[in-house]
Amino acid sequence: MSDDGQLELIELKRRFGDTVALDGLSFTVPRGEVFGFLGPNGAGKTTAMRAIVGVQALDSGAVRWNCAPIDQDARRRIGYMPEERGLYPSMRVVEQLEYLARLHGLTQQRALSAARYWSDRLGLAGRSQQKIEALSLGNQQRVQLAAALVHEPELLVLDEPFSGLDPVGVDAMSEVLTERAAAGVTMLFSSHQLDLVEHLCTSVAIIHRGALVAHGTVEDLAHGGQLRIAVRVAGDDKARWLSGLSPGPGELPAGATVEGIAGGTATISLARREDAQTILDLARKAGPVEQFGFVRRRLSEVFRDAVGRDSGPPPERQAPARAESEPATEATR
Amino acid sequence: MSANWWTLTWLVARREITDRARAKSFWIASILLLVAVAAGAVIPALLAGKHSVARIGIVGRPAVAMAQAAREAGQISGTAVTVTELPSVAAARAELRAGKLQAALIGDTEVLVNKQSFSGSSIGTTLAQIGGLQKLYGQLPPAAAAAVAAHGIALPVYSLSPPTKNLATRITGLTAAILIYVIILTYGIRITIGVGEEKATRVVEVLLTTLRPVQLLAGKVIGMGLMALCQIAAMVAVYLALGHAVGSPEVRSAATSIVLAAGLWIVLGYGFYCTAYAAAGSLITRQADAYNAALPLQIPLILTYVLVYTVIYSTTVNPFFHVLAFIPFTAPVAMPVLVALGAAPAWQVALSAGITVVSTVWMARLAGTIYGRAILRTGSRLKVRQVLRTAV
Repeated sequence: MSDDGQLELIELKRRFGDTVALDGLSFTVPRGEVFGFLGPNGAGKTTAMRAIVGVQALDSGAVRWNCAPIDQDARRRIGYMPEERGLYPSMRVVEQLEYLARLHGLTQQRALSAARYWSDRLGLAGRSQQKIEALSLGNQQRVQLAAALVHEPELLVLDEPFSGLDPVGVDAMSEVLTERAAAGVTMLFSSHQLDLVEHLCTSVAIIHRGALVAHGTVEDLAHGGQLRIAVRVAGDDKARWLSGLSPGPGELPAGATVEGIAGGTATISLARREDAQTILDLARKAGPVEQFGFVRRRLSEVFRDAVGRDSGPPPERQAPARAESEPATEATR
Repeated sequence: MSANWWTLTWLVARREITDRARAKSFWIASILLLVAVAAGAVIPALLAGKHSVARIGIVGRPAVAMAQAAREAGQISGTAVTVTELPSVAAARAELRAGKLQAALIGDTEVLVNKQSFSGSSIGTTLAQIGGLQKLYGQLPPAAAAAVAAHGIALPVYSLSPPTKNLATRITGLTAAILIYVIILTYGIRITIGVGEEKATRVVEVLLTTLRPVQLLAGKVIGMGLMALCQIAAMVAVYLALGHAVGSPEVRSAATSIVLAAGLWIVLGYGFYCTAYAAAGSLITRQADAYNAALPLQIPLILTYVLVYTVIYSTTVNPFFHVLAFIPFTAPVAMPVLVALGAAPAWQVALSAGITVVSTVWMARLAGTIYGRAILRTGSRLKVRQVLRTAV
């Protein structure tokens, strides 16, 4: 894929007093993919996303989109959904969407038409004339997504778009995000719902304490890290075929460790990929092999491996609630 | 600034107007203000006298000289008069009884009134004196009589000190001061609440992805300003229409300068204060803090408003109040009062307006800086010094 539409975060740094919010964060978001942005609370996700849309100044570093810095014109082609929802409580749904669409450059007619389309599309058709404050939190969330989409943006930056949604809402939002990515939109969204991210995203970036700790496609990350295989020999519910095996020639390969046995299936970690064949040979000697394959890591495992057990925010940032957005910030303009 | 810059700013202003026009509180406040203005137009007229325009009947000849005598009597007694020729004394008596006439001059013989006044200064008494003098001068040689007819009987009066304003004019000035005070405070606090709402609900974060802070600020104060102008226009229209309808001499003549001064100072005052109120709103993180944040801006206006009552009925204006009329924070309320009291010549009004305009530019820059730096800052409520110390 060409670099067109690609979003680049280059060495982003930002401190709030003694707190380091971004510590040289760099990664690239390709166009046309649903890209997940993960990290524990206080990792710097919101600060990075605010920097992308230009409402957060940086100490250093650059954000580039389409191989160029993001200027005022470019910002009008960005759809942004902030972590803390930003809507006028007393405005009606369609009016709010039309207003935001017009601010992004749509004509009155197109803005109204787009506002109606996205209200309908996100299941708000019957509520389009209601005030935002009269809607449930879930429906306000839908309006917020509609607000990010109403001007047909080419870049979507969505901070926790799924929080507070019911399963139907999650499905509707997932469908829309997948569709927009397929339409060529560059998309970055943050979430703590790792199973959902694994299901939805092509690629992810995981950050911790303001720095990148893992980055790549979900597939690569799932198969990366410690190699593991799962083996099950027919009729051996306790995996007794492993008893008495110890590292050495004709035995377990060096570095191979039995991590666990469940229902006759043994999970064995390996030092080298080719050791899997040796394990298979040992299992076949014990009987017919019913199950054999590399174990795919869940994204939650990848996440925990990347950020470690100490996945909380830095000590200075634990004191105030909502530490990620609490420190003093200011507009870049 | 490009056309697009103004297009976006106008969109913000339009939203403010629509939002405000939908609020019930806006319409309730508008009606109350209109009632206050109506009272300001009608009460001075009533205080000036029920018959502020006196109808004088004349019976007999020469009609021209008699009409001149009636008008002179009006001038001397401070009453506007209209003169009506009547066919007979009986007709004059009938109209007097019906209350349609205030007095009737019957040839060079007598003046008829419905009820004798003992004050000695009524239109009837004055008409009698002028009529008597005219009769006396009628016995002069023709040349001298012609000169009297040409120049009138009464001698001109020149005062050594400026005339003091009457009660009705003072009340008009007080009404203007109240309205300016109410308009600036009402719209100012509304701006603070609006900015605070945008910040507290984080909608500003969405808006500032496509707008510059100065556009959001400008759109808000322009929108609110236009609403204020509409309200002012409605009030002025009601004031003038009602004033003319009840025959208020203040509305017809003297009060025009007060109305103009009030209009000028509402615009100048709003211009000076509006950005400051927006900056105050940008410092808060909860809407509930809006009134506290705006309080420092309200104190100078409240102080001046209270002091208005100490000068509005006095014969002299104290120097402190006079100084307030040249300080931009207090001038919008103080200067129209000085105009109403006749205590501020035109050059002082112009000087004060100039100071306010220059200060408005200074205030807009300062407020714009505070707003731009504070509007996206979350956490606890900010202090002005804290914001100004922060480098962009």
